[in-house]
Amino acid sequence: MKRTVPLAIVMVGGILFMIQYFIPHQYSQTLFNYYTEWAPIVGAFALVLGVGSLTRLHSHKIKRKAKNWQYSYAVLIPLFGIPFFALIMPQNLGGGMMESMGGDRLTQGVFDFAYMNIQVPIQATMFSLLAFYIASAAFRAFRAKSALATVLLFSAIIVMLGQVPIGELLGKWFPKVGLWILRYPNLGAKRAIGLGVGFGVLATQLKIIFGVERNWLGGAGE
Amino acid sequence: MSIWEKMLDLDRRWIFLLIGIACVVPFFTPLGLPILPSQEVIAIYDYIENLTTDNAIFVGFDFDPGTAAENMPMGVAVLRHAFARHIPVFITAYGPLGQGMAAMALEEITNEDSDDYYVYVNWEDWASIREQGITDRAGIEEAWVAAGNTLAENAHGWVFEGRDIAMLGYLPYFHLVILGMSSSIASQFPTDIGGNSLEEMPMYQDHKSLRDIDLAVTTSGSSACVAWITYGREKIGLPVAFGVTAVMATDYYIYMQSGQIIGQMGGLRGAAEYETLLLRDGYTKSPGKAFVGMDVQNIAHLLIIFLVILGNIAFFAGGFNKKTKLKGRR
Repeated sequence: MKRTVPLAIVMVGGILFMIQYFIPHQYSQTLFNYYTEWAPIVGAFALVLGVGSLTRLHSHKIKRKAKNWQYSYAVLIPLFGIPFFALIMPQNLGGGMMESMGGDRLTQGVFDFAYMNIQVPIQATMFSLLAFYIASAAFRAFRAKSALATVLLFSAIIVMLGQVPIGELLGKWFPKVGLWILRYPNLGAKRAIGLGVGFGVLATQLKIIFGVERNWLGGAGE
Repeated sequence: MSIWEKMLDLDRRWIFLLIGIACVVPFFTPLGLPILPSQEVIAIYDYIENLTTDNAIFVGFDFDPGTAAENMPMGVAVLRHAFARHIPVFITAYGPLGQGMAAMALEEITNEDSDDYYVYVNWEDWASIREQGITDRAGIEEAWVAAGNTLAENAHGWVFEGRDIAMLGYLPYFHLVILGMSSSIASQFPTDIGGNSLEEMPMYQDHKSLRDIDLAVTTSGSSACVAWITYGREKIGLPVAFGVTAVMATDYYIYMQSGQIIGQMGGLRGAAEYETLLLRDGYTKSPGKAFVGMDVQNIAHLLIIFLVILGNIAFFAGGFNKKTKLKGRR
């Protein structure tokens, strides 16, 4: 039962919506509309599962004083605190979310304050670090060790210079050659990879729909 | 240890320091080098330039704060262009953090301290004009001015909520939302983020589904942008344009060549190109953030290329290409 029902749902749903895509009839459209309305609602239950599972995991860690248990508070406090302030707390006590686009809209409640002053700087900082690591990695790893590596190295330099105005000052041909590399050799390679991936995805999806590939069941019913 | 080996063993903190300096110094000594717009960016610009108040576009803030440095100026530039031409804009977000990014973009555009700001008129503020049955853009502005409202000297114009803009925000499973909007936008977003009914908005009355939309510009730091092609372009023929990070841009030239996107802004450079076009045509008075940021990119790219060349010189001059292993730890 644990295997048959999910397999049947996937097979019927998969085939149905493959066919639906090609049928412009009203019934087909109605079915499709039902699906687009229902799917997010069904999917929302995954949120309950996710929050429940995360809470259980981290509360156990705190209870057992497992390694780095203190960090679990950093997960649990915002997990419940932010929705509490956004949805339950009254506005005069720092609750609520951005509702209006006029005025001082981003600095009113705890929810927006946390977004602007914690989440945005954290993510921006993490991504900014890439520049430092890329520079260090380029210095250590970008070597013209072989003919192919040399081609890669020169292409990278041309594209990098072609992407910035100073490249044009160094040579008018940098942007042109840089764009040519992006528009032709890069495009050809990307298309080949994209087609390969596309066929792979198609094959995997067909295998899932027809029950050949069952790993997604996670061993249910075995 | 030879000089070449010492060079290859350079402590990476020196490299970090150099990059740090390269990122900070250009802000104090701007280079302001001219930027030539590419065909990919001109295509988007010209497309929007040919739209009128009867058309409408979607702008997707489909990125997180991590890539905001690249994506935000793109979104801001497209919004400025649309507001200047009074083209109605529906704003959406593929992820929950994108909605905040869109709000930040609007805050930047409506910031009174800026040279190029727009005055945001809330939905409730012009209710009396709607009650008179005036819904066309020119009529609304005329009635608004007649009511005694004046535009500040450094302001570019008004942005009427519900006529020029509808902030729809984020919904989960956004690919399904795109599919759903192909039948009706209001079926997915009955209200904007402020709780104002979409059905009552004049811009919705003329554009009820994605089939009535003339362009979707997705500014994205992930493969989220592809959803607009898969579910918008391919399903209902919605014209799509990309604004993606520089590392992603190489992935999406295939969609340019196949005609599935009308154009692409790639990284900070793409945003700076769009800003250059806005400046050229008088839609802005001063260059935007991307244009300023290009100075940093100029120096940083040169520095990285210098480091790569230096590394290769040390590698070959030291004869390390013939050795299987270097002595030092790397």
